[in-house]
Amino acid sequence: MRPFGVLDDPRRRILIQALAAGFFSTPWGVAAQSLFGAAPGRLPSGQSIYRTSGRVLVNSQLATVATRIAPGDTVETSPDGELVFVLAEEAFILRGGSRVVIEKPPANSPLKTALRLATGKLLSVFGRGRPTRIATATATIGVRGTGVYVESDPAQTYLCTCYGVADISATNDPLSTETVSATHHDKPLYILAKGKTGASIRRAPFINHTDQELMLIETLVGRTPPFVFPMDDYNAPRRDYP
Amino acid sequence: MRRAGITRSGLRAGCAAAALAFTCGFAHAVDVELSATRIEASYTSDNNVTRSSGADALRDRILGLRVSKGLMMPVSTRTRAVFQGFAGAEKFQTYTGLSHNFIGGQGDIQFRSSAEFAAATYGAFFRTQVEYYDSDLRDGYRYAYGLTVLKPITDRMQFFGAIQQNISDGKSVVFDTQSTSLRGNLDWSPGRSDTLYLGAEYRRGDIVSSGTQSLARVNTADALVQDDAFTDKGYSAYRFQANTGLMTLGYNHAFAERHSLDISWRYARSKPLHPSGYGSASDVRYTVSQLSLAYLMRF
Repeated sequence: MRPFGVLDDPRRRILIQALAAGFFSTPWGVAAQSLFGAAPGRLPSGQSIYRTSGRVLVNSQLATVATRIAPGDTVETSPDGELVFVLAEEAFILRGGSRVVIEKPPANSPLKTALRLATGKLLSVFGRGRPTRIATATATIGVRGTGVYVESDPAQTYLCTCYGVADISATNDPLSTETVSATHHDKPLYILAKGKTGASIRRAPFINHTDQELMLIETLVGRTPPFVFPMDDYNAPRRDYP
Repeated sequence: MRRAGITRSGLRAGCAAAALAFTCGFAHAVDVELSATRIEASYTSDNNVTRSSGADALRDRILGLRVSKGLMMPVSTRTRAVFQGFAGAEKFQTYTGLSHNFIGGQGDIQFRSSAEFAAATYGAFFRTQVEYYDSDLRDGYRYAYGLTVLKPITDRMQFFGAIQQNISDGKSVVFDTQSTSLRGNLDWSPGRSDTLYLGAEYRRGDIVSSGTQSLARVNTADALVQDDAFTDKGYSAYRFQANTGLMTLGYNHAFAERHSLDISWRYARSKPLHPSGYGSASDVRYTVSQLSLAYLMRF
């Protein structure tokens, strides 16, 4: 095993050298990566954004791969936009038409990260021992060492605990609470704004995210998800290889 | 003569339907995960259903339906077994003797070294199916076994490769064939909903071509028979060894969560390995172009 800090993957070394040389800052480099993608590796410290597409704003400024994202920032995507980014030991895919505020946890709080997803869709992975709170229009979700996918609109929140533990409470219904411990997308839920008292949390189908995406963002923070084989059923159906 | 090496009597019924039965009945008994049911409906235009040349190449349109269901069973942390049962039909619009129903199963053993994004998945598979044609001579069993690899190259591109042996055990010896194929496929997903794919395959082994009798065909063929799928044309079916190259270009567009539309173009070119030298060489070469539109859904 190589000592910490020594790059063991030649592709990662090439990627970092390319980053250092400013390759991805050139129009050709940006276009090529945007079009054909890149072999993901742990993002170098100092880099927050792995990939953007469409129009992405950080604190109302147009974001590029060089933009830094930190607690206190507000990130927005246009309907056709997408942002893949890292914040400390957490990594995210923010889909189009989303707005998320990365809040600064209070100094005495055990929370490491606090997010307010006003509207939109966010896939997140969080480091172990890093309690995090995600607030949406209809729910508050406390997560521990977890991968979660959240869709938020004023009427309901969709939550899939992809793995790990999530404590869920409905904002307008203190009697509706639930703790989900999942290993592989076991119990997706809707949290309703106007549900019956004590019944504002309902089972939901699996939607709109894939195991490959979880693997991608875990890679950006140097981790792997707890499952080895991605499930094909989470992708759109396609014909067998001819 | 049974060139396939696996006799029909030795692999009767059980093989073809085993995976389906296993899928349905065994799933709850052990620690397995059922995959969603997938339905595929397709419409294909094929410019050479006879796999022949010149005026003997006949065009037809084909409606297809395929239903499949699978299950996954972990063997260890990094190894799993995947079973799939499938059934379906292909209906030829003009040359109805080629219409057929099929049912079969496939088993895969897969290994992935880690949960790293770029880790490759290696597999070994065995597939068997039984086919019942509206004509008689083609009825029989199909088998394939081989090795596969699936590897993400970037976060937008993925490679699939396979080497496999194909065996066909038909009612007529002309349809007893064996071939070896090497194939590769590259998927490129510029967005979440769209995938472009490019496939290439090299196949070496037996092929069957139907057409009128000619000196080149009769002398090149290892076996021939009056083809009962083209009786009105008076065609014969010829089996001979050939090198075949295939290319596929396709586009898959996902809409909603569980539906997608797939359009693909497939081109094949085949040339005999041992042409007799008699007659016209072009009689034993052919090209095929297929355009296919498919709707896929999962539930």
